[in-house]
Amino acid sequence: MRDPRPLELPIISRRKFVHSAVAASGLAVGGLALSLDVPAQERAGWPRGAARPPRDPAAFLQIGADDVITIISPAVEMGQGGHTSLPMIIVEELGGRWDKVRVMDAAAAPIYRNPMFGQQSTVGSFSVRGWYTELRRIGAAARTMLVAAAARRWRVPEHECSVVQSEILHSRTARRCSFGSVARLAAKMPVPQQPALKQTSEFKVIGTSPPRVDIRDKVDGSARYGIDAVLPDMLYAAIRTSPTLGGKLKSFDDSACRSIAGYEKSVALPDGVVVIARSYWQARKALERLRIDFDPGPLATLTSAKVSARLREGFDEPGTVARNDGNADAALARAAKTLEAVYEVPYLAHATMEPMNCTARVTSDGCEVWCGTQSPQSAQAGAAKALGIPPERVKVHTQYLGGGFGRRGEADYVVQAVTAAKATDGRPVKLIWSREEDIQHDFYRPAAAVRFRGGLDGNGRLVALDCKVVTASAPAFGRPGGPPFYTEGISDANYQIPNFHVSGVDQNLGVRFGFWRSVNDSHNPFMLEGFIDELAREAKQDPYLFRRTMLQGENPNARRQLALLDLLAAKSGWQHPPAGHALGITALSAFGSFVGAVAEVSMQDQIVTLHRVALGIDCGVAVHPDNIAAQCEGGMVFGLTAALRGEITLENGAVMQSNFHDYPVLQLVEMPLVDCYIMPSTAPPGGVGEPSTATIAPALANAIYAASNLRLRSLPMTRHQLGFRTVRT
Amino acid sequence: MLTLTVNGAQHSIDAEADTPLLWVLRDELHLTGTKFGCGAGLCGACTVLLEGKPVRSCLIPASAVEGKPITTIEGLSKDKSHPVQRAWIAESVPQCGYCQSGMILAAAALLATNPRPSDADIDMAITNVCRCGTYNHVRRAIHRAAESEA
Repeated sequence: MRDPRPLELPIISRRKFVHSAVAASGLAVGGLALSLDVPAQERAGWPRGAARPPRDPAAFLQIGADDVITIISPAVEMGQGGHTSLPMIIVEELGGRWDKVRVMDAAAAPIYRNPMFGQQSTVGSFSVRGWYTELRRIGAAARTMLVAAAARRWRVPEHECSVVQSEILHSRTARRCSFGSVARLAAKMPVPQQPALKQTSEFKVIGTSPPRVDIRDKVDGSARYGIDAVLPDMLYAAIRTSPTLGGKLKSFDDSACRSIAGYEKSVALPDGVVVIARSYWQARKALERLRIDFDPGPLATLTSAKVSARLREGFDEPGTVARNDGNADAALARAAKTLEAVYEVPYLAHATMEPMNCTARVTSDGCEVWCGTQSPQSAQAGAAKALGIPPERVKVHTQYLGGGFGRRGEADYVVQAVTAAKATDGRPVKLIWSREEDIQHDFYRPAAAVRFRGGLDGNGRLVALDCKVVTASAPAFGRPGGPPFYTEGISDANYQIPNFHVSGVDQNLGVRFGFWRSVNDSHNPFMLEGFIDELAREAKQDPYLFRRTMLQGENPNARRQLALLDLLAAKSGWQHPPAGHALGITALSAFGSFVGAVAEVSMQDQIVTLHRVALGIDCGVAVHPDNIAAQCEGGMVFGLTAALRGEITLENGAVMQSNFHDYPVLQLVEMPLVDCYIMPSTAPPGGVGEPSTATIAPALANAIYAASNLRLRSLPMTRHQLGFRTVRT
Repeated sequence: MLTLTVNGAQHSIDAEADTPLLWVLRDELHLTGTKFGCGAGLCGACTVLLEGKPVRSCLIPASAVEGKPITTIEGLSKDKSHPVQRAWIAESVPQCGYCQSGMILAAAALLATNPRPSDADIDMAITNVCRCGTYNHVRRAIHRAAESEA
């Protein structure tokens, strides 16, 4: 017997809530005819021009008669704070009370596509910087409509009314009313085409750090992640896919599964089998008994050693030019001193704490999926394609994500769940991957190698730099004719180097790869900033001052990077490190922000002690400073795990790691002290989720060199027989 | 038929004896605050309190804990009022939050036996894995909870 209490069905009731909220509440009263498409002007092309009306406010906020402001977040919540920072932007211009705000995830629909890149995906640290202006316009439009409604009711001119804390005031007649009391009428007001926005100096919400809306549900187990979906008559599924990357299913035999209680059936996938049972544990037990014959596929002889050799072969290929200032070859030939080095990093897995999972229900009406996804649009498209139905017939119920880091931008697990649910006569199926499947079937951060050649003149100035980046190229976002995506973190460096040449070779070895927190900035800045440090040493200059010299002049990006570099040097005590301690510094720009780190280490007997990390970021307008600091710290930890011990290795085409014992992540006992400094700025917002991930590897490697003259040109640090610890004093 | 005592209530559950406690809690009792992370006792996302001590429920057959009191995150308090929960809110500890049920229970167990833990005590007691990197917030919140009870 299952527990006789009524099932909690929070997910289903939330779906009902969407309908009832749209139908009943004030501002969204037009919601029954609400178009979730973007305006035609926007559909015509991304990115869009500025002179167009805001997107329909009714799709983004609803105000009830009870004054509750329900905000539909176009960004999912995976811990990055999107459910708080995006609503803050709307509420700033709306003039609403923060304690009246409730937040929901958006359905998959074109109107929720990020204005900066035209996809409904929470990736690339794009949420705040992509939505900043649009959400302000939406909030301002809604405020204008509320004021218009109150003015009409009071028969006073709109311009005499003001908005404070979810109330409309008319001071001449000393009248006031709440948003909720005029919301229904406001919904009938025209949407202003060019709503006026506040000056940044007038901000009351942006720049503060209200409690994140998701925190309270995350301290008592009530937060609902994809893995927590519960539906009536639900079945559970476990999965095994080809141990060899790129392998295919040949056949399977489930005769031994049939004696497992609760076993229902097994469903073939192109590269594996899904085993379905009445409980998850039964599915796991049946999976153990399943006999599967795989065709190992074309990667069956691939090893990490071969990957490394193939990457280095790329150095001899001409490649695609990403940057070509001056004439690097000629300048290198003339240089007083030259230096050459090769840097390399391995594949990495994401290892989100919540393993991949998806719950799907497939009926003659269409399909519904419940999952944590960074891309409701991709989940919808993937499910639709797997079923051969139009995307509109797939409903995506986005849940909290137990980590994303780029992994949940993929829809493979959605397709698998839908394929299984197609075979169960309408009964929903919850598919949960094992951790072993998760580590061994990721979309890996690609392995990469970079060859540098640098030339110094007689004064120790860097006059020539040639860089060849070899890696598998993650797909570029809409920038036809632009530079190769995978050279970012090197080719977009803000240093003034008169002869600067960067080329890239796309060496796709067939290993499935994807976006991993900070993407190419997870390796390229480690390499470039390490080599810059080598050049500074070669020039017998202080690494901080060497960088300073290359950031002079009027270039606004160089100026912002210089200011950050100076801030970090000052805050970290660069000139006077504690006795026996050594510092490593780095600064760079990534995801529209400027970011840097100083690592403070000491070394004894091949043990690196990390005493402190100073992080700095200039992300333009800081919407929620506390969350920005938390993201910088968390992003740094993600990079620190990779720098210390992150490594996916291949033997015979299979991933050798399987769980947290052989793919270990940083533990609390190893966590360094962190100080995070946010540069005051009124510039448009930049990204914050990813930039700091890029900083720790170069800062740490440069500090290790300063402490020991040992230069780390490859990661992880475990390759170099170095131990690691932190201290808290 | 298994009989489990969870959050002060007795439950009769029709599950095979070898079913890990984790899956009984999640799939039979719908106490989904206890999370699956690794299935191998490595990450601590599935931490629950067994007779007040933190254990990893993914490795414990449900049949082995019949009759023993089990506390899950849902049973720590009725209204997020446990000192650890209040400290977690005050310090805005969670990011994605997936590991936090286990973290909070490990912290609550630590404070139950050691009301004023040192940093070294925290290092020893908190072996739960957090991929978002909330560790410094976790440490601050444990100290805050300790101070609030002092």
